Amino acid sequence: MKNKNINFSKARKLYLKRVRNDKIFVIFMQIALFVVFLGLWELLSQTKVIDPFFFSSPSRIVTTIITLAKEGNLWINIWTSLYETIIGFILATSIGFAIAVILWWSEKTRRIIEPYLIILNSLPKIALGPMIIFWVGSGTSATIVMCILICVIITTISMLNAFISCDNDKILLMKSMHAKKYQIFFKLILPNALPDFVTALKINVGMSWVGTIMGEYLSSKAGLGYLINYGSQLLKLDIVMSSIVILCVLASGMYFLVLPLEKRYKK
Amino acid sequence: MNKLLEFKNIKYFYQTKESEICALENVSFDIDENSFTSLVGPSGCGKTTILSLIAGLLKPSSGEILLQGGAIEKNDNRIGYMFQRDHLFEWRTIWQNIILGLELTKQKKDPQKLAFAEDLLKKYDLYNFKNKKPRQLSGGMRQRAALIRTLVLEPTLLLLDEPFSALDYQTRMKVCDDVYEIIKSEKKTALLVTHDISEAISMSDKIVVLSKRPSSVKDIINLSLEGNSPLEKREDKSFGSYFESIWRKLV
Repeated sequence: MKNKNINFSKARKLYLKRVRNDKIFVIFMQIALFVVFLGLWELLSQTKVIDPFFFSSPSRIVTTIITLAKEGNLWINIWTSLYETIIGFILATSIGFAIAVILWWSEKTRRIIEPYLIILNSLPKIALGPMIIFWVGSGTSATIVMCILICVIITTISMLNAFISCDNDKILLMKSMHAKKYQIFFKLILPNALPDFVTALKINVGMSWVGTIMGEYLSSKAGLGYLINYGSQLLKLDIVMSSIVILCVLASGMYFLVLPLEKRYKK
Repeated sequence: MNKLLEFKNIKYFYQTKESEICALENVSFDIDENSFTSLVGPSGCGKTTILSLIAGLLKPSSGEILLQGGAIEKNDNRIGYMFQRDHLFEWRTIWQNIILGLELTKQKKDPQKLAFAEDLLKKYDLYNFKNKKPRQLSGGMRQRAALIRTLVLEPTLLLLDEPFSALDYQTRMKVCDDVYEIIKSEKKTALLVTHDISEAISMSDKIVVLSKRPSSVKDIINLSLEGNSPLEKREDKSFGSYFESIWRKLV
């Protein structure tokens, strides 16, 4: 077993114990907070302090999810949203990254394009919703395009900033060793920007879910955004709350898939 | 002694939005083979510009720079550059950092070059750290690794741009000695840019004193101090008078 602390001094043992206890306390408190929140929500709902029709309750959410699963509506909606989000996430990250590389490569192009990037970034993408439906039709394609629009500019901006913030002396060092531009990119700029790339991935996980839900609000026949819209129109607020809970679980799942990358490439 | 580098009547202007600035005004000096030369001068006088011109990173506005009697070519592998900071890449191991130049010049698979890199690591006590990351090394070891990275490409002339200025005083004295020893034992010619007059005197055979911008050569001082290392040279009786003389020229 690793870290046998038999030979450690008393002070060292105490320090390690305190670190371990702190960690256990934090995890315990995180779980306790969640359990207390659920318990309180259920209690207030059962005792009608809050109206279960508007605020639902954990038990009602579980029942709704089971019912949706039995009716066969749950999996198709989860799969649709997940599929749209993953495709949107991959495409937006790739396109944003590729644009950042082009803009790093050509300083003139960067100077020409930069103001447009800033304008596009400040534009609320939802405003383009009706146009997207005209351009690519409704349904999955519109949702994926919305997802891409939401993530692509921010990916480009954050990656470009990472590329151009590389220490100039390091570039000079590469040049003094006769490096060509592609070598400077692949051996210095890119590895130097990896921690920022992981940060962009983390941000894009959240942003691509925003894009998917916005896209599904606009026009869709399936997906969690559609389910939320459907539930609110028919005043079935349990369906709305259940969809939000499922969304939380899925978004956290994607976030935790990216997390090991962050640990590996942390600066 | 043969002249390795001739820096002849160099003028250099650089452009800003506001005006054209003359950085160097007819600067001339020579560097002999296997010698150690230092450039000293006030801040902003263009010392680093001179190194960039020699390295081919900048082009002179007029004048001529000759290396071994010929012009300096683009990507001239006879010149090695060592910077103020070590600039080791944190994501690479020491070995990967050291062979970076070989990778860039497509010599990564040359067994002779690799053996030479390994020999340098062994000779200068870094072999046991070859698989470590730069952050696991001390400041002095990092600077030694940076010098080996430059030496692996077997340059004829080494340009040292204040390579010790980022180190604390004690480490600086030690690294200064180490670098001097490495350069001498590898029979290299070096040109050092420094703000530190003592450092210049203790390491050099010749010191070129520059005036403030637009820079010109104020004086060239040939030194002869007793001692095999910079630390020993600092104990020479004439050290103080050299210091005094250069100091007066700078103020």
